[in-house]
Amino acid sequence: MTTETRSVHSVRLEPGAATLLRNEIAKCRHLRIGLVTALLAVGIVGLTLVGTLAGASTDGDLTAALPLAGLSLAVPVASPVILAILASRAVDIEHQGGGWLLGRTTGVAPGRLCRAKLGVLAAAVAVGTGGASVVVALLTRALGATGPVPVSLWLGYTVAAIVVSLVVLAVQVLISARIDNQLIPLGVGIVGTVVAIAASAFPSWAAHLTPWGYWSLIAAADYAGESVVTLQPSYVSVVALALLATAGVVVATRRLDRQEV
Amino acid sequence: MDIVSTQALGKRYGSTTVVDDLHLRIPEGCVYGFLGPNGSGKSTTMKMLLSLIAPTSGRIELFGRPMTRETRRDLLAGVGSLIEAPPGYGHLTGAENLRIVQRSLGLRNDQVERAVRTVRLQDQMDKKVRHYSLGMKQRLGIAMALAREPRLLILDEPTNGLDPAGIEEIRGLLRHLASNGVTVMVSSHLLGEIDKTADVLGILSGGRMIFQGSRTDLTSAVTPDVLIDTVDPSRVGPVLRKDLPARVDGHTVRVSGIDDRTTARVVEDLVGAGAGVFGVRRDEQSLEDVFMSLTSGGRP
Repeated sequence: MTTETRSVHSVRLEPGAATLLRNEIAKCRHLRIGLVTALLAVGIVGLTLVGTLAGASTDGDLTAALPLAGLSLAVPVASPVILAILASRAVDIEHQGGGWLLGRTTGVAPGRLCRAKLGVLAAAVAVGTGGASVVVALLTRALGATGPVPVSLWLGYTVAAIVVSLVVLAVQVLISARIDNQLIPLGVGIVGTVVAIAASAFPSWAAHLTPWGYWSLIAAADYAGESVVTLQPSYVSVVALALLATAGVVVATRRLDRQEV
Repeated sequence: MDIVSTQALGKRYGSTTVVDDLHLRIPEGCVYGFLGPNGSGKSTTMKMLLSLIAPTSGRIELFGRPMTRETRRDLLAGVGSLIEAPPGYGHLTGAENLRIVQRSLGLRNDQVERAVRTVRLQDQMDKKVRHYSLGMKQRLGIAMALAREPRLLILDEPTNGLDPAGIEEIRGLLRHLASNGVTVMVSSHLLGEIDKTADVLGILSGGRMIFQGSRTDLTSAVTPDVLIDTVDPSRVGPVLRKDLPARVDGHTVRVSGIDDRTTARVVEDLVGAGAGVFGVRRDEQSLEDVFMSLTSGGRP
């Protein structure tokens, strides 16, 4: 056996995407990613129910738009910190365990590792946020809501909320990857919560300035005085955010790939 | 054959030169001790060999082939490494950690099992890495590097923080690997940690290679001082030439950096001046003395 053939054929560097995802799923063991995702879903459902029941008691009537308004408020309240926790837990193990260097020596550059983490966490967040929305929709009927459930609006809101959540998740993953001290990304998550809640009072242009503000732009229902009205989510803004975020993630992770250790 | 060679390898960060004009030669099958004080450029050199950082200048050849963007992936497949702190996800067991490496590199079970047995960690694989001692973490890191059955193993200060038993264990492991045909490049800032294990030594100081060769070469690289015992040291001063680096310490004259011919002439002069020479010898130097002399700006 020649020296060249041995070095070429003994192992393969740069594993494929499926292997990377399997590894990231394996790393999630004992990190309680499932539990934290469940907390996200429970938080959204819980906050929605509290808002809905509070609204119903003053209204005396439960329209299908009321839980949708609750959901539109619960998602931005519950998501930012939990997304920050998810990203931080998944990324901090690389800082603590020398994973960035280990990845590089097995042909996995840091940016690629971040994209794989984002893939796994995105699936969890999509299930958590989407699942919560479905549960609220089912409960709306069970609670005896009157009037038709605006299915297309509900669906549109859910997809838009997932997209915004994934963008925020991507931001958190990148911050966690760049900064060793994970208190900082968690702090960003807390600030994100404040921005997300306050953004509904911002002018539209100001809500566009941060990813957290987009949750207010996609609100599907809100109070107008004493009554609840349905709103049209700003799908164009969400699509623009998704495109911008995709480009940003590609650029940022490629930069991470080129970064020297 | 040199398994690693570099030509005028250099790395600069802004105006700071970290590695300068490095000509590294690592023969196949040896344990190469890469020595130098902290900050001398050892880790930077190793990272350049592993393509973790890009050289500013110079060339690298691994396994006789130049390292380029095209060949890098092939060449690095044959290199195992342990750089900086030993890797390992603390929340996972040793076995789970190795499974991640196994999947990444597409290794067979027997390759991983052999690596684990080599570092004698087979009884600790179900324990979480956060509960490992530092020595066990080092061994796990080495197992991760060995699992791909590398021809070249690059270990950056693998004995750092280990107790004497742990250091001896790593030494034994390096000897075992070398006897099985693996070329090992191991760095340390302490000569004593690897001088018994290394066949070839390279000493780096201020980013420059100040010595490369065998231990015997190293000892002879620095000429030991000549010590001349005299009965009457007061007669020594007028005799010694001003260009000779000599100093009188009691009844002993210490002259640095002179060869045997010059020694004979100095002794002859002292005898002629009536200094009463009754002893001439070379100062004994340990490898540690030589190392310290070289790395503290002494002559190569």
